[in-house]
Amino acid sequence: MMTKTGDQESPQASASQVDQPSVQRAPPPETPAALQTRFRVIAAFWAVIIFLGFPIWWKTTSIYRASLPIEEMVDWADGKACRPVFPLEIHLATPSMQYFEAQNLLRTTQHTLDDLNEFAAHHLRLKLTNGSTTAVNSDDSLENAQTPAEETADTALTVQLLPRDGLASPWSELHAAATQLDIFYPPSQVPVPSSSNSPLSTFIAAELQRLYGEEKATIAHILSGNTAGLDSTSPQLAEDIDRRLRRSMKYAETYHLSFSLFTPKSEPSSWDIEAAALSPISNFTVDTQVQLYANFAPTAPKPEYDESEAAWTLKKEDLSAFVNAAEWPLNPSIGNGPTINFILYVPDPSQSPLIVKENRASSWMVPQWGGVFLLNPPLSNTEQGGLSNPSHLSQDSLGPAFMTFSHQLLTLLGTPSTPASLPLRLQTSIRIRAATLLLSASSTMGSLARLTESLPSIPIPATVATSVSTTLSHLAASCAHLREGRFGAALASARVAETEAERSFFEKSMVGQVYFPDEHKVAVYLPLLGPIGVPLVVGLLKELKRIAARRKAKGAAS
Amino acid sequence: MAVDRRRIAVFGAAFVLRLLLTCLFPSLPGLLTGRVEISTPVNSFKRLQEGLFLYTRNVSPYDGGVFHQAPLLLPLFALLPDATNSPLPTSIFYFLVDLLNANALVTISASGQSVKSRLHSAVRKHVRWDGVSVAAWFLFNPFTIATCLARSTSVFTTSGILFAVSNAVSGNSINAMLALGFASYLSLYPALLFVPLVLLCYDQRSGRPNPPNVAYFIVQHAALLLASVAGLLGLSCLITGNFWEFISATYGFHLLVPDLTPNVGLWWYFFIEMFDSFREFFLGVFWLHLASYVGGLTARFRSQPLFVITSLLGVFAIFKPYPSISDASLFFALLPLYRHLFPLMRYTFFAGSAILYSSLLGPAFYYLWIYAGSGNANFFYAITLVWSLGLSILLADTVFAALRDEWEQEHPEQVGMDVRQV
Repeated sequence: MMTKTGDQESPQASASQVDQPSVQRAPPPETPAALQTRFRVIAAFWAVIIFLGFPIWWKTTSIYRASLPIEEMVDWADGKACRPVFPLEIHLATPSMQYFEAQNLLRTTQHTLDDLNEFAAHHLRLKLTNGSTTAVNSDDSLENAQTPAEETADTALTVQLLPRDGLASPWSELHAAATQLDIFYPPSQVPVPSSSNSPLSTFIAAELQRLYGEEKATIAHILSGNTAGLDSTSPQLAEDIDRRLRRSMKYAETYHLSFSLFTPKSEPSSWDIEAAALSPISNFTVDTQVQLYANFAPTAPKPEYDESEAAWTLKKEDLSAFVNAAEWPLNPSIGNGPTINFILYVPDPSQSPLIVKENRASSWMVPQWGGVFLLNPPLSNTEQGGLSNPSHLSQDSLGPAFMTFSHQLLTLLGTPSTPASLPLRLQTSIRIRAATLLLSASSTMGSLARLTESLPSIPIPATVATSVSTTLSHLAASCAHLREGRFGAALASARVAETEAERSFFEKSMVGQVYFPDEHKVAVYLPLLGPIGVPLVVGLLKELKRIAARRKAKGAAS
Repeated sequence: MAVDRRRIAVFGAAFVLRLLLTCLFPSLPGLLTGRVEISTPVNSFKRLQEGLFLYTRNVSPYDGGVFHQAPLLLPLFALLPDATNSPLPTSIFYFLVDLLNANALVTISASGQSVKSRLHSAVRKHVRWDGVSVAAWFLFNPFTIATCLARSTSVFTTSGILFAVSNAVSGNSINAMLALGFASYLSLYPALLFVPLVLLCYDQRSGRPNPPNVAYFIVQHAALLLASVAGLLGLSCLITGNFWEFISATYGFHLLVPDLTPNVGLWWYFFIEMFDSFREFFLGVFWLHLASYVGGLTARFRSQPLFVITSLLGVFAIFKPYPSISDASLFFALLPLYRHLFPLMRYTFFAGSAILYSSLLGPAFYYLWIYAGSGNANFFYAITLVWSLGLSILLADTVFAALRDEWEQEHPEQVGMDVRQV
């Protein structure tokens, strides 16, 4: 500024007044050449401002707002765009029945099922297969989740009807490792074509209803926005579902499983973690660590010895303080995705065995965090006469711990506790996740629409518009997949939709402007542009005044 | 012959002084190379060595994101022996470039453009130093010596500018444009000197018979400048292979100022504090501020283009994005040409003390901030403000003196009277 002032003001200063010792004289008149020079100087500065300054100001401070399909986004959030339905396809395999008999059985069973069903979005559709067993094992159903291009609907369950003599009434058996339900029935109960109802079809319907009861209630609970489930859901079940949803980890694309062996002494110091590694779930990253000399937090209550149980006990209410978060190196997150921690705690020989006081359990779960297992290995005598833990934990001794961990993992991931078959539970989990993600992505879209509507000053980058359109197309695809019963594909689309929705909502450049009201811009512009602007504006005004005066004088003269 | 002997003595003494400093204090060049006051991201010798290392191993020199200088420097320095093992040849090369710069200054001074040009003749034209004294002011300026010992590549920009001016005052307008093209190619901002330089060339040319049309002359020389820059860019393209990578790593770096390492300028602190969303706008404001002086000063001092160049160099030393003391040393090199203005300047003591104060306290405060940890960034920033204030006062005072000189020339009866601001 110093230089500019000098440049502009000095000619006037030197041209204006000359101080004589006592006499005040008027300054000599400026020559036309000096006037012209001054005009040129002012014009040069203003030319830069007008031809370069204003375009730059316009270009760099205009807010880019990509257009978003606001209406469509709100429709999704309000649930108008898609009513998620869950048609489950159940194959009825009747190897020893005539075709028309089977057809009849199917018709009556479907009829009974439809009568029993009160939640229209979730319904079971029966279909006959030609005799052969087509049990889908769990690996296939997981793979289906990865291939959205699958054309046919996923088979939820295969019901194998097997006649067996000597039964008074039908009974069922669920395969624990396959999506297959075997129903044994007395041959006499095959429905006759004329009847509209039979004990067998009623039994099948009731059986299926029982299998999918919890899933249905869960989905109803999610879709209805956590307020009211189905009318028929027992309060007990509703509470269970609610508790499970609260316990389970928030959805993330990848989970990080961390298995840690903690012990307060130096032994055991190795474990067969590789061999004992649990179920074949591959899209989790797993790491393990062994921490020796892990002490309890000083504030945590110490275990007490219970004479009657002959064991050291931890009180149930003290379990929350068991994990010494300050000292045990349980990293909160490695890479992206939350970490699920599993802790295997081998107590000090002097405090072994260690159990939970109230229910004599040796493990518990920390909701949304992980699980803890207290392992009390058989103690051995050392040469010094004391007791010590074995220095190595074999695969066999880890077995129960990892059974517990796998159970805890499923619970933490929000898998329902019934039915007993693991593939069925995983399938249910797929459907529940798809519903959750569909809803959450839709509501994120709604929030984004409301945010951009209510804050007209925030920029909307093109990436957000792209994310939104990806989200909407995947939501639509997911909804279509659901309608046609391809739940794996639906989940894949819903996952993409959720990721993109989150990305668009938490776009960094958008959020930065939220708390920046227009008044603050004065504080940004003025400190620098004010001092620069004042001499420029004053110079311009003076020059304009002079030109106007000269024109007036000219007009008066002529 | 006597003058020549003086020149040889001054040049020789400057050379020997530099050589002695390098040989007696072998760690001095390394120390100076690391100083933020001398080495900025765009002229640091360390970064040049990094680029050179990558270049000699056939990796793109801009890959590491450290090197931001013009690629033509690389083959030049690849010819010299490795500076880490045998630093002397590189240092001597820099000494020679310094002497060449001083020689250009002698030419400029000898032309007498500073006191008497086509449209202007100073009142006190007898009060002046000869070329060798001006060169001595340049060669024995501690800022110049520090820049030279630190092997900052600003030295080459300086020689580009000085050669452009010396060719312009001796009437070689084509060489002047080529030299300015070289300087602009190295550091972008000298391109702003085009307007006063072409006017200087025109004033020289119009003294001879058949003066050409002004507009035609300007367009012709603009084309020449563009052609020389384009030629150098073409050569660089041959060297680096990837044109856009090199443009964004060099000129993009100059324009967008992504590296906010502290330096003696005013930009780094401002852009550290700036809200991200206004960053581009204020980059535009700062660059326009720098550029806006060209038009105003040229219009006001149409009769003295060399003075416009001098004062613009002062403006650049204060307001450019990555200034170092080498920019100030270039300004101080041209100031002694205006010895006749010194009696008219009013605040030389204040400006001089501010500059001395800040150049002594600057390193101390930087040490307090970075190494001792007992100060903070504001310590150093305050000193850079004082430094810029000193330079601004000096510059404004020079401009005032030049205006006063013009005024006295037009009103010979009022020579020696005091001015009063109304």
